[in-house]
Formats: sequence, structure tokens, C-alpha cells
Amino acid sequence: MKRISIAFILCGLAFLTSCKLQKEGLVVMTDNSYKASVFATNKMGFGSPDGLIWHKGKLYIADEGGSALEVWSKADGLKTLMDSSFGISSPEKLVVDSEDNAFFTDDDVGGLWEVDARGNRRLVAGKDKGLIYTKGIALAPDGSILVGDGEQHEVFRVTKDGVVSEFLGKEYGITRPEGLVYDDKGNLYIADEEDNVLYMLDQNRKLHRLIDRRDSFSPEALCYVNGLLYIADEHFGKVYVYTPNDELKPIATFAGTFRQLQGITVDDRGDLYVAVQTDLKHKVGHIIKLSKDSTAIAQQ
Amino acid sequence: MISTVVFSSILISLAGRLTDLNDQLLLGINSLAGRSWLFDSVVAFFRDNDLAKAGVIGCCFLAAWYGGKTSNGTNARRKILIVTLIAAVFVIGTTKILSHTIFLPRPEIQSQKIFRLEGDQLVEMKRIQVRIPLDDTSQKDYRALLNGDVETNDLGSFPSDHAGFFVAISLGIWLASRRLGLIALGWTLFVILAGKMIGAQHTPLDIAAGAAVAIAELSIIQYALRKRLSGWLDKLTGLTLRYSALSSAIIFAVVFEVSSTLVHVRAFLGLLAAMRRHVLLGMG
Repeated sequence: MKRISIAFILCGLAFLTSCKLQKEGLVVMTDNSYKASVFATNKMGFGSPDGLIWHKGKLYIADEGGSALEVWSKADGLKTLMDSSFGISSPEKLVVDSEDNAFFTDDDVGGLWEVDARGNRRLVAGKDKGLIYTKGIALAPDGSILVGDGEQHEVFRVTKDGVVSEFLGKEYGITRPEGLVYDDKGNLYIADEEDNVLYMLDQNRKLHRLIDRRDSFSPEALCYVNGLLYIADEHFGKVYVYTPNDELKPIATFAGTFRQLQGITVDDRGDLYVAVQTDLKHKVGHIIKLSKDSTAIAQQ
Repeated sequence: MISTVVFSSILISLAGRLTDLNDQLLLGINSLAGRSWLFDSVVAFFRDNDLAKAGVIGCCFLAAWYGGKTSNGTNARRKILIVTLIAAVFVIGTTKILSHTIFLPRPEIQSQKIFRLEGDQLVEMKRIQVRIPLDDTSQKDYRALLNGDVETNDLGSFPSDHAGFFVAISLGIWLASRRLGLIALGWTLFVILAGKMIGAQHTPLDIAAGAAVAIAELSIIQYALRKRLSGWLDKLTGLTLRYSALSSAIIFAVVFEVSSTLVHVRAFLGLLAAMRRHVLLGMG
């Protein structure tokens, strides 16, 4: 009996070592021309990232887990621009304007926050002005900032002076405007993560339901670059590229501990960066880079 | 210290050989697929259709339940079968927990370009070039996979819960009745589990691990319950004989669930989980 028990335990160990016992993250490439790599882990200094923006060679991070706004550059590494000591709690999505001023939302304390190019920090408009549960954010062509509110189910226009006005009211039926981005023609794309719909507001202010597949699609973050709309899907762990002609094409499926996708951005070379909240409660996160695989392209 | 190093290197070498053997066996069995639409459709029918797949096991179970020649014989069989059902529930629980802990996608998923996190790096996994069956369901699933539709259930294929569940039930039938048990074990191995490997849904290692869990847990639970709770089992089997109509109705429901691979029980548990989330935790 003793020998049988020892044999059984050894066989069990052999099974487990051959199967790599670990609860890990996986990235399944649907578009074989891409390859995945880890761009950054918590060792860089962030907690659990949400929004990402690549701007002039720097990566801005809305660090929801670390309650901070951070910026990374190759030369300077990671720097904290604003943290919880200024009253922020859960930075969500962000934008950076042409003058290098960074604006971000916070879905815990609400409001629209700014860290300007010189490092000055301020609350542009807070809960007292109606920004209660701020989610998506976009730079409007007129220089104002659009902010989506998930509790009031509206999109607000906020000027840099802090004047808040309604941009899209409840009558448009958008439940949770989690991601907002303008294309080069002036159309506004809106990701409604609760109703699982991608909307487009055209220049005539007509709202179109572009993609409505509740059982398989739930857009969280949007990024528009060179005629391509990149979408991060939080519930289904997917990264898509959308064009009006080719519709929705998946690039990669994230699984396991990598399933919670948050922000997405594209650098100057066309590489994609995806924020993954591996474990928000314990402030664990990854930034995954999806870049063109030269070997795969050569094979094609 | 030296013995530890030697033991570790032997274990690593054994694991490497086991993985290679596993891949070779899988490719050998899977080479039957993708050649004939008729063959693949027949295999898929017996793999996916609950009546064809598990109905035979259910019939064997019922035959063993009622098949004792004397009342003592029937009593002994029923004791074994009741314990088998309890063990099967534990086996399903164990295989589910293991598959959520050990990250090994189905072979058909591993035919794609996959990166897995190892330490702080994403490493490309070795691709297994499996043949995709030509039946309609497999082709539809493969097209969905190419479009990026990867089910969560497809990412934890080790160990096979089908292997665990059906080997446990079939072994229990075999303990109760050798002849019926051989039919059930043969059907499990050559129809249900072979279909899973031909269709590249499981590797031989997944099947072997599921079967090992089933054998281990069935042995332990049979031994423990019959040693410790023998009186309770006697009472229970006595009740099944005294209230034969009621026990027949209950055993019909149980065999029905076994034949449908517990799909209705799982749906009910899912409903309970949703109720807990929405009602108790106030998320709905």
C-alpha cells in the first residue's frame, strides 16, 4: 500500500510538472501578423493600470490600482504626476492635449482632473458641477473635453475653465460611456460597456449603433489612429480593430489572469499597448505590447 | 542535496518525455480526423449527443441497480452504486478545480499562435498541428476560433472532466457487475474518450489524469464509506428495497442526469450562483 501511494504521488508530480502548474495569463493571437510581449509589470512601479495614452514618446498611465496618474519615458522611467494625496482615488481614462496637458477621469471621487505641462495639478470640474461617476474622456475638435458619466448616463462637455454643459443627454440612451474618441472626420465613437454597444455620433449629431452583439462584444476602451479604430473588450478579453469597410476584426484574445483589459493606445511605430488589470484588489497589473511580427510577415 | 538534484533532473526528464509521448499519441489518434466527412460526423455524433454518448452508461447503471439475483446481491450492488454516485460528484469537483488551476488549452486551441506568461515574459507556446474534423459542428467551432472566439472552458482542458466522471461511474458499475462494467468501461474508453482525442478536444494526458483522479477518489471513497458508514449504507439500501417505487423514480432522475452529463444540475447551480450575486450581494 505504501509503495502504491509513493508511486501515485510521483506520477502526480510528473503530471503536474509536465503541465506547468500555474494560473497564468495567455494571449491567443487571432491576427498572426502580431506578436505579444510584456512591456511592463508592477516592477516598473505602477499598480493596476486602466487608461493609457502614448503621447510624444511618453506613455501616460491612469493607474486605478495605484490611485495615481503616471508617465513613463525611456530616459526618465516612471514618474508620478498626481497621487491620492491630491484627492484622487481611482483614475480611469485620460487624454493629453497638444500642449502636453493631461486630463483624466476618476470613477470613484468623480470629476475631471488635470496635470498641466508644468506639473500643476487641479480639479477642473468636480461632483458639485455634476460630474459624479466619470468614465470615458475625449478631446473635442473645439478644444473642450468630453466626459462620460456612468451614473447619470450622459456625456458632458467641459471647457478648460471648468464650465460643464450637457453634450449628449439621457435621451440618447447611452448607459455607460466608458470609452470616447474622435476620428479624423469629426465622428465621435462611444463605447457603452454596460449595454455592450459601440456607437458613432456623426457630424450631424445623429447617433448610429455600429456594433451591437451583447453575447460576444463589450467595448471598454477606444483608440483611433491612422484611420483605424482599436477597441479593448473587457468582458471577453479581446482586442479588435474596426474600419467601416472591414467591420470588426479581432487581433488577440486575452485569457486567464489577463482577461480584464482596460486601456489601449498606439505608439508612433504602430505598436499597440494594452493595460491589463491582472488583480485590481491586490494592485497587480501588466502592460502588454502587441507589435507586428516581422517573421510572420516575411512568411506571409 | 545530491539526491534532490538527481531526483529533480529525473523528474524533469520524465516530464519532458511524457509531454513528447503525449503529443505523439495525440497526433497519432487525431490523424484519423479530417479525412472523411462521414467518419468525422459519426464520431462527433457519439461525442456530442447525450443519449448516444452517455445513454449506454446510464443503461448499464440501471441494469446493475436492478440486476442482483438475490436480495443480498442487489443490496451489495446498490451499496457500491450509491457510493459510486457520491464519488462521481467529488471527481467532477476535483477535475473542475484542477482545470481552473492548471492552464493547458485544448489541443485545437494550441494549434494557434499563443503566448503564455512565464515569470515576467510572454513566451510563444509550441504549436500542435492537429487535424480539424470535417463535421459541421467542428468546422463551425474552428471558424469561430479563427475569429477569436475562445471559450473559457477551452483554456483549461487538463484534466478531462468527462474522463473523470465516466471512468468513475463505469468503474463503479464494474465493481457491482463485471460484465456490465466491462461494457460501460469499453464504451467510455472507445467511444466517449476516443472521440474527444480524435476531435483534438483532449490529449491522452488529459484523459489519463481524469481517469487517475477517478480511480483514486473512487477507491478512497469506496474504502472510507464502506468502513466508516457501513451501517448508514445498509439502511439506505434497505430503504431502496422497501420503497422500491420511490427509489426507482429517484434512480431514474439520477441516471437521467448521468446520461446528460449533469447539464441540468450545472444549470441549477448556475442559477443559484446568479441568485446569490443578484439578490444577496445586491448586484441586480
